[in-house]
Amino acid sequence: MDQFIEQIVTGLSIGSILLLVALGLSIIYGSMGIINLAHGEFVMLGAYAAWVFHTYLGLGLLASLLPIFLVVATFGWVIERYVLSLLNNRPLDTILATWGVGIMLQQAVRLMVGSELRYVQLPPALSDSMDVFGIPISSYRVFLFVVSITLFGATWVLMNRTTVGMKLRAIIQDRSVAASFGINAKRVYALTFAYGAGLAGLAGALVSPLKSVSPDMGTGYVVDAFMVVVLGGVQSLAGTVASAFILGELSGGIAFLQNDTVAKAIVLLAIVVLIRFRPEGLFTARVRA
Amino acid sequence: MPSNASNSNGLQRLIAQLAPLLIVCAVVLALPVLLNNDFLLNKVARYLVLGILTISLGLSWGFGGILNLGQAMSFGLGSYAMAMALKLKTVPVHTGVSGLPDFMVWNNVQHLPWFWEPFRSLGFAIAAGLLVPALVAAGLGWFMFRGRVTGVYVSIITLATMVVINLVIIDQQSYTGGFNGITDLAQLELFGVAFDAYGRATYYLVAGCVLLSLLVAFAFTKSRAGLIVQAIRDHESRVRYFGYDVALYQIFVFALSAAIAGLAGMLYTVVMEFASPTFLGVQLSLSVVVWCAVGGRQSLVGAFLGAVLVAGMQGALSESAAFLETWTLVMGALFVLVVLFLPKGLAGLAQATWRWVAQRRRAAGSAVARGVSQTEGST
Repeated sequence: MDQFIEQIVTGLSIGSILLLVALGLSIIYGSMGIINLAHGEFVMLGAYAAWVFHTYLGLGLLASLLPIFLVVATFGWVIERYVLSLLNNRPLDTILATWGVGIMLQQAVRLMVGSELRYVQLPPALSDSMDVFGIPISSYRVFLFVVSITLFGATWVLMNRTTVGMKLRAIIQDRSVAASFGINAKRVYALTFAYGAGLAGLAGALVSPLKSVSPDMGTGYVVDAFMVVVLGGVQSLAGTVASAFILGELSGGIAFLQNDTVAKAIVLLAIVVLIRFRPEGLFTARVRA
Repeated sequence: MPSNASNSNGLQRLIAQLAPLLIVCAVVLALPVLLNNDFLLNKVARYLVLGILTISLGLSWGFGGILNLGQAMSFGLGSYAMAMALKLKTVPVHTGVSGLPDFMVWNNVQHLPWFWEPFRSLGFAIAAGLLVPALVAAGLGWFMFRGRVTGVYVSIITLATMVVINLVIIDQQSYTGGFNGITDLAQLELFGVAFDAYGRATYYLVAGCVLLSLLVAFAFTKSRAGLIVQAIRDHESRVRYFGYDVALYQIFVFALSAAIAGLAGMLYTVVMEFASPTFLGVQLSLSVVVWCAVGGRQSLVGAFLGAVLVAGMQGALSESAAFLETWTLVMGALFVLVVLFLPKGLAGLAQATWRWVAQRRRAAGSAVARGVSQTEGST
């Protein structure tokens, strides 16, 4: 029984990291239809930003979260403004362009700070462990879980209860009608992309104490995050949450029963089958076109 | 007669389209005469093989509109088919008891697994190198296109499938050599000719295959089926309303492209003298997309040259680590620029330039003619 609960908790922990990374991707893909292959690099930038703030400015991880969000969001804004906005109506090409941007970011980081592994310290206040259902787990993982849920809540409020969110939803429904009502679609898109990038940066900063930081750390995340988005359904934030935890539990569970490789392969195959039979994702209601 | 005129016009167009293809092939075949360095020749052969792989992607992406991000899967399958046959032909010193490959001995495998048995025959291996990728692609194509999966989702499914196969190959170390791949291979021997990786014979084998794949792909794009495939790329539903079985044509071009990639994979094993899981890795697969986009996805010759030039440049610069690092950065920037401003790649640029020059010439010619007629009128 203890082992079972431990598995569940591990799954929740994997799931909260997945959610952190996938949230930004989901916003960008769901609202702009852009598959952002540079997303992993935004995660990587966030992790490096955490490292830079810590080593050169002496800022703790928690104190540097807001600046990290702003820095990576700025990157996102620039990229949307000067690359992606030129690619209207060419969705396949946005994959290629964002991938190229990803290579550039990765390589630029490699040239500037080298490809050695970097480490970020756990915040001292969260480096102990606490008991959950009688099982000791690290406080930091609990913290990650809480943060990921909080960020999801913030994003939901932003999308559904603010003017910017309303404008964005209007553009998603019909861009030209929204524009004729005076909504500046370009500006809203740039802000959306910047917000998604900023979220990715936060994710990178938050996972950096758990894993080592390297220029190519983003590659694995982007695939996993993408699977979360596909499984959850493109325009459903709640679906993203559900699928993040489902995938977390699944890969935790299968990895426990078999091994990591088999877990990865099975999850990927499941996604392939899902795309074929339910491309709109598990958690979206069918909408009439 | 008008029909005769249009016929000769069509012939002229065909020749104009074939010309760059034949020029490229002539250069490829003539190269060993100019290049008297076996090491360099081996390198060039390697880039030519990558060129074949890129042609295969151009066929499915540029002409079929199917962006296959897992093109390296077919390449890797072909490469492993060849490597398995050549491994079984190695001199007994390198292999374990009763001809068991060395890595199986290390992994305590007692008997040759059943799916290795037929690879004792080279003919079977070559057939498998073409057919296994084609059949896998046809199966995957059936799965996707019958369900009307399109666009981005095709890319995700192909990429995910390749990653799964890659994971399985790395995981099943005792049957596939795992992370190390299959190394220490015998030389390929066909019809009494031994193909040493650094020999001229291998180069000509590769060059011949370049010619063959270019011609097969070209013939396909000119065939009726090829035209329908291009029509599907441009407007899928319209072709469906005409009563064509859209999925069938998509499956066919997908499988044909996989077979060509399989051929490239087999040649790669011969040229590199090993097979490795990186041959069906994400890195290579995405690089092929870059080469294809830079060269021109809608031009077979363009795709081929894109691969040879970009991969060749990368190889030339890899002598120095600092250069290579910077090059990758430049490469990423170049790629983004091509995607933004040259969706048809360098081939599109060349075509546009050619058309512009021709137009200028015609304009100049007609101006001269006008001048002549004017002077004639005045006298």
